[in-house]
Amino acid sequence: MSLPELDPVIHAQARLRVVAALSTLPHGDRLSFPRLQEILGMTAGNLSVHLRKLEDAGYVDVTKTHHGRTPATLLCLSRRGRLAFEDYTTAVRALLDGGSQ
Amino acid sequence: MNEVDEEQPPASPAESLRLIRDQRARAERSLTPDPRLVYWPWSVAWLVGYGLFFLRYGSDGDGLVAMPDWLPFAALFGLMALALTVMSVALFRAGRHVAGESATKGSMYGMAWLMAFTGQGFLLGRVSDRLPPPEAGLLWSASSMGIVAVLYLAGAAIYQDRTMLYLGGWLGVVNIGGVLAGPGWHALAMAVAGGGGGLVFGLLAWLRLARPPALRPDPA
Repeated sequence: MSLPELDPVIHAQARLRVVAALSTLPHGDRLSFPRLQEILGMTAGNLSVHLRKLEDAGYVDVTKTHHGRTPATLLCLSRRGRLAFEDYTTAVRALLDGGSQ
Repeated sequence: MNEVDEEQPPASPAESLRLIRDQRARAERSLTPDPRLVYWPWSVAWLVGYGLFFLRYGSDGDGLVAMPDWLPFAALFGLMALALTVMSVALFRAGRHVAGESATKGSMYGMAWLMAFTGQGFLLGRVSDRLPPPEAGLLWSASSMGIVAVLYLAGAAIYQDRTMLYLGGWLGVVNIGGVLAGPGWHALAMAVAGGGGGLVFGLLAWLRLARPPALRPDPA
């Protein structure tokens, strides 16, 4: 059986968790960095590193804005990121189904 | 969190799916207002407030239990004010640091509530004095519950939320049934079926959130 290839950007525990958490946001919504950090239970430095990789792959849209005078970073999955996440879950399910036969 | 291991791929496909399911459930629990805080305070307000109304006035105005006139009013409106506060805190906590369409929807939907109850207050304040007290009481309580029912149904349409749909429909039917039965009976219906219904629907919504179904395909 040929194994479906898993997207290496998402197929890492930390980034899979980031993408899974962002995938629950309704379309058109963005989550702030600290709130995402709180949901994931990651350190800020760690989350920044993984977000950078996801942004470089074009999977996460990063918006820099201001709440009053405080700078804020807002995050959401890009269209491409949503698609990549769907492809990943489909591939993982296919692997599971293949393995159970 | 073990930060060294986080660059590692999940150990197996099953582990990947488990990770996705757990993380999505955790995010949804954080981003969804706790149904217990949204529905239960209102349910308790109706249960106790309308319950006292029924005990004070009964079905024929005589009443079953002696108590001051102001007590049922004070209990109902005091508990509803408390419920509004608790619900607002729950909505604020779930929505904090989230920007975009949900925030816009939420503030527009909030305006609908404000407008409905302000309009009701001005209209009924003008006419209810001319009605006999039992009918005046029925007018206030039935129109309030009607507004709640209709706005829950509208909320169901906005948020595609089943709990709001069923609870709105249920309150609407119970409200109309209570109006047909008359003053007094309406209070009993709102206490038992309205308050009780809110407790049940809130519990079901909470259980659904606490124990999410298996991973769904994500809508694009």
